[in-house]
Amino acid sequence: MKFIDPHKDQWHALGGEDGPAACINPTPFLLLSVEQWHAFRAQWPQGMPVGVVLTNDAEVKEIAADLPRLALVQLSFPKWVDGRAYSQAHTLRARYRFKGEVRATGEVLVDMVLLLARTGFDAAVLRADQSLDAAHRALTFFPGYYQGGVDDPLPLFAKPPGTADALVRAQEEFVHGGAAI
Amino acid sequence: MYQYTEFDKQFVHQRAAQFRDQLERHLAGKLPEDDFRALRLQNGWYVQRHAPMARIAVPYGELSSAQLRTLARIAREFDRGYAHMTTRQNVQFNWIPLPRAADVMDALAAVDMHGIQTSGNCIRNITSDALAGIAPDEIVDPRPYAELLRQWSTLHPEFAFLPRKFKIAITGATEDRAAIGWHDIGLQLKKNDAGEVGFKVLVGGGMGRTPIIGITIREFLPWQQILVFIEAIVRVYNRYGRRDNAYKARIKILVKAEGQKFVDAVNAEFADILENDVAGAAHLLPQAELDRVAKSFELPAGVLPQAESTRPAVDAPRAYGRWLERNVHGHRIAGYRAVTLSLKRAGQAPGDATDDQMDAAADIAERFSHGELRVTHEQNLLLPWVLERDLPTLWQAARDAGFATPNIGLLTDMIACPGGDFCALANARSIPIAEEITQRFDEIDELYDIGNVDLHISGCINSCGHHHSGHIGVLGVDKDGKEWYQISLGGSDGSTQSGTPVPGKVIGPSFAADEVADVIESLVETYRERRAAANELFIDTVKRVGIEPFKASANAVRRSTAIAHAA
Repeated sequence: MKFIDPHKDQWHALGGEDGPAACINPTPFLLLSVEQWHAFRAQWPQGMPVGVVLTNDAEVKEIAADLPRLALVQLSFPKWVDGRAYSQAHTLRARYRFKGEVRATGEVLVDMVLLLARTGFDAAVLRADQSLDAAHRALTFFPGYYQGGVDDPLPLFAKPPGTADALVRAQEEFVHGGAAI
Repeated sequence: MYQYTEFDKQFVHQRAAQFRDQLERHLAGKLPEDDFRALRLQNGWYVQRHAPMARIAVPYGELSSAQLRTLARIAREFDRGYAHMTTRQNVQFNWIPLPRAADVMDALAAVDMHGIQTSGNCIRNITSDALAGIAPDEIVDPRPYAELLRQWSTLHPEFAFLPRKFKIAITGATEDRAAIGWHDIGLQLKKNDAGEVGFKVLVGGGMGRTPIIGITIREFLPWQQILVFIEAIVRVYNRYGRRDNAYKARIKILVKAEGQKFVDAVNAEFADILENDVAGAAHLLPQAELDRVAKSFELPAGVLPQAESTRPAVDAPRAYGRWLERNVHGHRIAGYRAVTLSLKRAGQAPGDATDDQMDAAADIAERFSHGELRVTHEQNLLLPWVLERDLPTLWQAARDAGFATPNIGLLTDMIACPGGDFCALANARSIPIAEEITQRFDEIDELYDIGNVDLHISGCINSCGHHHSGHIGVLGVDKDGKEWYQISLGGSDGSTQSGTPVPGKVIGPSFAADEVADVIESLVETYRERRAAANELFIDTVKRVGIEPFKASANAVRRSTAIAHAA
């Protein structure tokens, strides 16, 4: 998981309103709304990195055909307990095989990081008051998981025999190692 | 019972460690209450009137004596000496100070217990038939499937923050003892003509402000597909369920509003997962995994069919006969019985047990039931593996411990939430109402004459006491800061006795607290006058004569409300 420092982020939104702009000057790492992208994709230079912001009530299907050209899809958590974007991320990755960056924005708390990582997000802009240490720790608690996720699509029962035991030993070593430090 | 693997054990310990990390950050002021709330809820920690309430998961109601002893110890050392069994087969504590919450989770983890997803807007603990695996009318044992669903739903990353809570109930018998029609998803295991196992899948049931019975979305879903099909349902719900109004956020509202569109969306999503998703078919259950889990649910060592005793209990006391009739249930293994330890008796809230009583129940389970118990939907404990020849001794032991009230299925075997005495959500208290009714109907002959009645009491519209499905439902409401009670009649949980699941009908304006017991008595009297024969059940009389005669007799007992209405 990549934690984005908004001050050092290369991606930038188009200034002004969200609606379709009359004219867009293509520059690398521009972040557009779906409407903006759809209005300008015909003129967008091939290979120039562009990202799209998907609101959490939008259909992933709407941008399915565009995904090969997108370097970033930004999803949002207007409230951290609104979990719609987890399903969007899952669909982007598992169904449409999106290979670019899937970024979480909005009210992103460290205690969501594990869920983000498992549903296909690979980048997050944490809320300003969040601790990076706690975010990293949040990823380390469990030996493995029962159900498959985007990060590791096979459920535990579908993995080779002995996997569960190996995961338990690895977690023990990790916990032990951590205690020694 | 399911035997935890090393992985399962470590997982629960690590969940406790994760919760400790969150709690410590909260107590250190680094995790504000607004952010901590959803995290503690998903570990079972509510904040109530007096202290946090801790809801401990008892997956599909199965409990070992060692686990019950730990619950007793927690009641003694961390709480004020008692716990409460819930309609969703969980166990609740009421008085544990939040700073000690992490220690409680560690103590629970030591016996493979936790509070994972017992609250919050996620897939909750899965409930089942308290007679699962032992009922004579069972077609398929639901416990291995319930366990597979438990594992799959545990910390499911995509479905941890749904629009609202999500409850699944599963049964494998012909009789529905799990009220599956009232759940977000209800599952009934069945066999097709070829003898293959599958699920009838219901979706969109629920209580609360808008009681709705689930619709059948699949008549027969092959068992291998259940995880994928539920994934499809929950994903559609997560995407489209309402989030603007908590009262309209349950899946029942989405199903009701969208109808066939919802069904089509689920079927399309299901097909998409299997046909288009990366490893989409990986969650189809293989036989080997079902077999691995089912192995835990084989008969306890030493349980073998026995000859049924033929001696008539001529000299047995009448109370013993009544206990046999009410608290002892048939079993699929010859020579065995299931026995309910009644937690419905005067002086204690329905479903409550003290630390000593929990220890006593653990002793009894070890002596008579291979150390196994169940928490029932009706808020009692049940012993699943009792030898028929042990019944007389068990009866003595149950009597000594106060568990032998022969009232199972009768009026005083009522369902009741903790209500306003404990719950911050409640509009009115449930416990004093339950207590008054229990005292009013303490005459066992009278209770027997009244026969089977489902009396369900909820302290508020959240319906934890399932008032909608009671033959008699009592709902606490708040008017001008005072406690009032709405009474409904004719509700059904979906059992054969109660009929097609349906919410009860309200019989008129709310009653004052001091009128409720009189109202119940008047309803019972009306039934006795009107019943066609001594064996016509209360619910059948209600269905036959309608609610009007009951309404009239209930109105006749109004005192406080008559004054209030006149004023």
